[in-house]
Amino acid sequence: MSNRNNISISFNDEIPLLQAVRILRDSKEIITDVLSPFPVHGLDEALSIKRSRIPVGGFIFGALGAILAFGFQAWVFTVSYPLIIGGKPFFSVPTFIPITFEVTVLFAGLSMVAALLIRSKLKPDIRFKPVDDGITDDRFVILVDTNDDETTLKRVTSLLSGIQTLEIR
Amino acid sequence: MDEQFDFKKKYRNILLILMTGGILVSLAVILISNPGASRIWANVLLNNQYFMGLSLGAAFFLAVHRVSQSGWHTVLQRLPDAMTTFLPVAFVLMLLIYFGIHNLYSWTDSNVSDKVIEGKKAWLNIPFFFIRLVIYFTGWIVLTRMMRKNSGALMTSSDLKYHNRKILFSGLFLVFYGITVSASSWDWIMSLDAHWYSTLFGWYVLIGMFVTSLAFITLLIWLLKRLGYLNYIRPDHIHDIAILIFAFSIFWTYQWFAQYELIWYGHLPEETSYYITRVHHFKIIFFINLGVNFTVPFFGLISFKSKRQIGWVAIIAAIVLIGHWIDYWLMIMPAAAGDKAGIGLLEICMTLFYACLFIFIVLRSLSTGPLVVKNDPYLEESLNYES
Repeated sequence: MSNRNNISISFNDEIPLLQAVRILRDSKEIITDVLSPFPVHGLDEALSIKRSRIPVGGFIFGALGAILAFGFQAWVFTVSYPLIIGGKPFFSVPTFIPITFEVTVLFAGLSMVAALLIRSKLKPDIRFKPVDDGITDDRFVILVDTNDDETTLKRVTSLLSGIQTLEIR
Repeated sequence: MDEQFDFKKKYRNILLILMTGGILVSLAVILISNPGASRIWANVLLNNQYFMGLSLGAAFFLAVHRVSQSGWHTVLQRLPDAMTTFLPVAFVLMLLIYFGIHNLYSWTDSNVSDKVIEGKKAWLNIPFFFIRLVIYFTGWIVLTRMMRKNSGALMTSSDLKYHNRKILFSGLFLVFYGITVSASSWDWIMSLDAHWYSTLFGWYVLIGMFVTSLAFITLLIWLLKRLGYLNYIRPDHIHDIAILIFAFSIFWTYQWFAQYELIWYGHLPEETSYYITRVHHFKIIFFINLGVNFTVPFFGLISFKSKRQIGWVAIIAAIVLIGHWIDYWLMIMPAAAGDKAGIGLLEICMTLFYACLFIFIVLRSLSTGPLVVKNDPYLEESLNYES
């Protein structure tokens, strides 16, 4: 079995996981992926992953939604189909606010979901075989890049000797 | 971990000088320009309510975090704890209202026959007004004192029973506060317009209090950091306070709008009177209130980076503090002082006096013990907190 391309190291807690990530990065091992059952605080910094730009997209689409909703209502109630409702003026801003707010939230929410799906290349027919079934339950796994059988495994094992790991293989 | 705030004589003197300056200039303004009794009493009420709200909001902040057993706030819990020591002073200052009650509240006038006010007599009468005032303050003072005592006990003892008691008293405080903050805002603010009522009013005041205390806690952290203390409060802690300021400013706007829109839509004369007075006579202040309290924290704190810089968050917090003072001004002043309402030297100097008194009491209480509660079980979690 000389065609392996990564080593998987599993943990049962997030604290040794973070320590291991820092040690491996300090000694220039290439971490291909870290898998965890829930988001681990501080993991992005430890892996020096850049902050996601999804909130920016959310803000832009939210602003777009606000403008569209407000503009549409303003157009409908003043130009297209003016109606007198409760003796209020045609262009009455307070009535527009709730719908503007809802459409803002809708646009921001949907755009962020769409951006996430597109950026992480998720589509309906995707098949995923987990490295370790435990990562959907209580296991934390680090995948380290390798192209040989023994030397990297030995090096990683000695690097992580002081840390509580479940399994290195 | 045993660092203690040194309330130097220099700071004390500055605060005392500003305090005397504030009260002297106010007295001078009162003597020279004769602003009218109702405006003077409205100022007393406004500042009582504002600074009492800072204390209560701080207690609410602590109680919510303790009941939910949150860890992150543990390193800074002494600051809101110190803020609650103002409550006994607020009690005394609020009792002063007795001397100006006829200038403030039209319902105290028994000579005028008014059907609406007669219907509210069971709640709005002078003896019951003061009985309620005493009940509110006794409950707040006792419960915050017990919270403070038990968290303070953890500085020397490591007995877990103090921690559990602290949580118990926080829960009791939340229940008591939830009811009394509504009732007290009806008594002290809403009854200024005795005909007008809004069922949302108590919540609106509560959120205002919470936002101002969050802003004040931020400024206190900023000040202590400038003086070289609190080095273990990292951007992660600032981030969380900024998130709360951001979220609750939006929630405040939500409440403001919910109250406004229903009254605007319903268009019932007894409800719209409140907004007609304020929009017609104080249009600029009315829109400044909404603009400052929503727009500034919303756009100022929306991005990730802006929430992590103490200097920037402190600027926003200072603006929010001023904004909510204007909010209280709009609730109280037009109803109490009528045509004589305004923002002038009198308002500024009175607020300066109260602010210096408040800061003096908070810093003095803070200097009586270490800045960190050493044996709190969540301290380690809080020190290593990553947001």
